Amino acid sequence: MTAALRIAARSAWVNFQEVAVSGFLLFAVVWQPLFVGVTTMYMLRHRADFDPMYVVVGTALSGIWSTLLFAGSGAISHERWTGTLELLAASPASFFVVIGGKLAGTTIFSLGSLVLAFGIGAVLFGYPVKIAEPGLLALSLVFAAVALWATGVFFAPLAILWRTVGVFLLVFEYPVFALSGFLFPVLLLPNWIVPITNLLPPYWAAVAMHGAASGDLDTPGLIRAWFFLFLTGGVLLFIAHRLFDEVLTRARRAGTLALS
Amino acid sequence: MLRGSVGAIELRDVRRLFRTTTGTLRRHTKEIVALDGLSLEVGEGELFGILGPNGAGKTTTIKVLTTLLIPTSGTASVLGLDVVRDAKEVRRKIGFVFGGERGLYYRLSGRDNLRYFAELYAVAPREINSRVEELLELVGLRDRGDERVEGYSRGMKQRLHLARTLLHRPRVLFLDEPTIGLDPIGARELRRIVSQLHEGGATIVLTTHYLFEADELCDRIAVVDKGRVVALGTPDDLKANVSDLSVVELEVFGIDAPTIERVRALEFVDSVVVEQRELRQVLRIQTRIAERAVAPLIAAVAAGQVGRVAVREATLEDAYVRLVGRVE
Repeated sequence: MTAALRIAARSAWVNFQEVAVSGFLLFAVVWQPLFVGVTTMYMLRHRADFDPMYVVVGTALSGIWSTLLFAGSGAISHERWTGTLELLAASPASFFVVIGGKLAGTTIFSLGSLVLAFGIGAVLFGYPVKIAEPGLLALSLVFAAVALWATGVFFAPLAILWRTVGVFLLVFEYPVFALSGFLFPVLLLPNWIVPITNLLPPYWAAVAMHGAASGDLDTPGLIRAWFFLFLTGGVLLFIAHRLFDEVLTRARRAGTLALS
Repeated sequence: MLRGSVGAIELRDVRRLFRTTTGTLRRHTKEIVALDGLSLEVGEGELFGILGPNGAGKTTTIKVLTTLLIPTSGTASVLGLDVVRDAKEVRRKIGFVFGGERGLYYRLSGRDNLRYFAELYAVAPREINSRVEELLELVGLRDRGDERVEGYSRGMKQRLHLARTLLHRPRVLFLDEPTIGLDPIGARELRRIVSQLHEGGATIVLTTHYLFEADELCDRIAVVDKGRVVALGTPDDLKANVSDLSVVELEVFGIDAPTIERVRALEFVDSVVVEQRELRQVLRIQTRIAERAVAPLIAAVAAGQVGRVAVREATLEDAYVRLVGRVE
């Protein structure tokens, strides 16, 4: 267990150093949320019920989500491209732990979106940063990050089997953004979609973080959101864990670990 | 098997097929046979070479033995462990280097790359730093260890690869064309390290395109072609296959294909290899009649086209050409 944690921690640090200088992920963490945040502020600020914290939290979530989706779907492709995928697969360390650790590094990096989102609200637009429940928001952020990390880990093994799957997974970015209510309430969506949103960890992340930031959600409601965050994230993580061994064996059979 | 009597590596009738797709609108799946019933054994402590043309199955063999590919049929084992069933155990005991510059984290320093792989290979935490320094010293990178790998030369990257694979003190090493693309000094340095590891008792499987390298380093060599072993023995055994031959080298200018065919058809010619050197070509002609072949060969080529002529003993490369029938 300690060895696995050490491997995960080292993998996280290695990946953090890699993504910190990756232009694409910097775009996902900085420029994309900046664009989303500023545009939404301009769109909504004249409404009577405008809540800047809602935009700040939603912008942060969109940055975290995009970064993890890109990183989760691209993690394996990147390792394959750099020729390290075979080295990782042929090492005695658990592949699940290694990739999970790497995506943990990306998750920590993606939290930069939150800082940026607060900056947009407070500095660019001059709104006071008023968090109703700072402690609960911090906890919600940690739980949300864990669940979104699990979503990224869930996507990763698919790219072991199919070299181009990363590109296809990118189409999930906007639908999940819309279905999860990052910046617009899911109540605006048709009723039949709501059960689908409830299956997504990003939806529960948005419920918990918006609820804690605005104080609109009572404690039982918040605990319920945390519970579903762990439940949906845990289910994805469980499936991913099973998938890793299975797809690795299939990839060794199909010969898809290398570029060619 | 040489050296220890125990078999460190065993392949039995290993077949490995790959599927590939052709066509755009109407797609067809084609099966390619990379290994076609390949069998061989390597003894513990042996330095074993695998030679063969491109696509012969050398890298596929290494990938099967390093657990990266599952054989379509047949069995393969390393130190008595099955590479499919006991893959995790096998991984703890082996190290491998694939030729080329990829396979490193370029944005990390050489030292950080080694620390990471030490962690993956379960090197004891208190041992990691000393082991990393020891290996950086061995491969001559101690002074450059803190620099990012992206600034390393090709030779430095190859040496870092070698250091990486030695972190957990593997008992069996697989080196797939480790000197490919290196300058002569870098390649010689890498060969010196490989020899040193061999003297230290490691079992090493080496694939290479450089026949002098195999001749210099290997205890035994398997020549592989079309996924099968076509010859197996010590470098001297393989050379003995061509002891009846001499090689006449003719430097020629602007020779055409029909002329080459005419030379090839001569009764005393065993094989002809054409090597292009800028504007010149060098015909390497294997023959049993040595000097006596020179005059009829010059006549066949047309005297005006011939530059330098040399006759020499057959080498391992000539044995290889005789076995495989071509050079790349």
